Amino acid sequence: MATVKQRLVFAVVAIVALAAGAWFAVSTEVPRDATTLLALSLPDTEGKQQALAQWRGKVLVVNFWATWCAPCREEMPEFVRMQREFGPRGVQFVGIAADQPDKVDQFAKELKLNYPALIRGYGAIELSKTGGNRLSALPFTIVVDRLGSVVYTRG
Amino acid sequence: MALPLSAQVSLLPAEKAFRFSARAIDARSVEARFTIADGYYLYRDKIYFRVEPTSTRLSVPELPSGKIKEDEFFGRVETYRGSVVITLGLQGITPGQKLVLKAESQGCADLGICYPPTVQQVTLALPDASSAGPSTPANIGKKAWFN
Repeated sequence: MATVKQRLVFAVVAIVALAAGAWFAVSTEVPRDATTLLALSLPDTEGKQQALAQWRGKVLVVNFWATWCAPCREEMPEFVRMQREFGPRGVQFVGIAADQPDKVDQFAKELKLNYPALIRGYGAIELSKTGGNRLSALPFTIVVDRLGSVVYTRG
Repeated sequence: MALPLSAQVSLLPAEKAFRFSARAIDARSVEARFTIADGYYLYRDKIYFRVEPTSTRLSVPELPSGKIKEDEFFGRVETYRGSVVITLGLQGITPGQKLVLKAESQGCADLGICYPPTVQQVTLALPDASSAGPSTPANIGKKAWFN
């Protein structure tokens, strides 16, 4: 779908720029502080709690998604590719799923997901709203720079 | 560099993309309707109804067939576009009683986003068993017909 691709182009530009250490401007509507997000600890598909703070200092790409969201699934193979390519340059993708653990686990395995898939149920959507997800729709992506500021959001 | 904000298309909130309305047909049945905006679709198997007071029993018929879509993860799924009309049966209701019909639905926009399950509700006044013809729907339902 064109818009998914379009969205990806923006995300790629943002991530490449950040990985390269470039300054990046965003809309003033974007909440700039990622403190709340970085203070979170959520279970992964194995039920193990993962603190987002462990990725502090990296360019953190937090993608809110669900298996019931086909456009979310469509863009994820590209995130897998980008994690592979930009991971060594300090980029970390983290998925937060508004979904059930078994579904997330199944899809993560099918896709050979190479970044953490954390689970928050529908609460993930409420969480994304605090990050500017006005429509409460998925996918929604937040990019946090190395200093802990939100530099990019895209629904 | 600045993000091309003009590229951000305006998307509707779920309640506007999938507008729910209902009207009483007679003392024992209600017509429920989803009016789906262009460029949006609902999943057939994600539609649920509930009614209050809970002493009222709701019978939901098999939903109309949708457009079949092959989903890589979920297999065969059916979607609705335009509008869907479902006639629901009611039992255990007192004539003239008011009831609240709640509808849960879940859908997506062609632009590449999906909404979580959304619950909308309509308050209906059912006609007396003796009165003929359909009644006017209440609040939310009424609004939907005018747009």
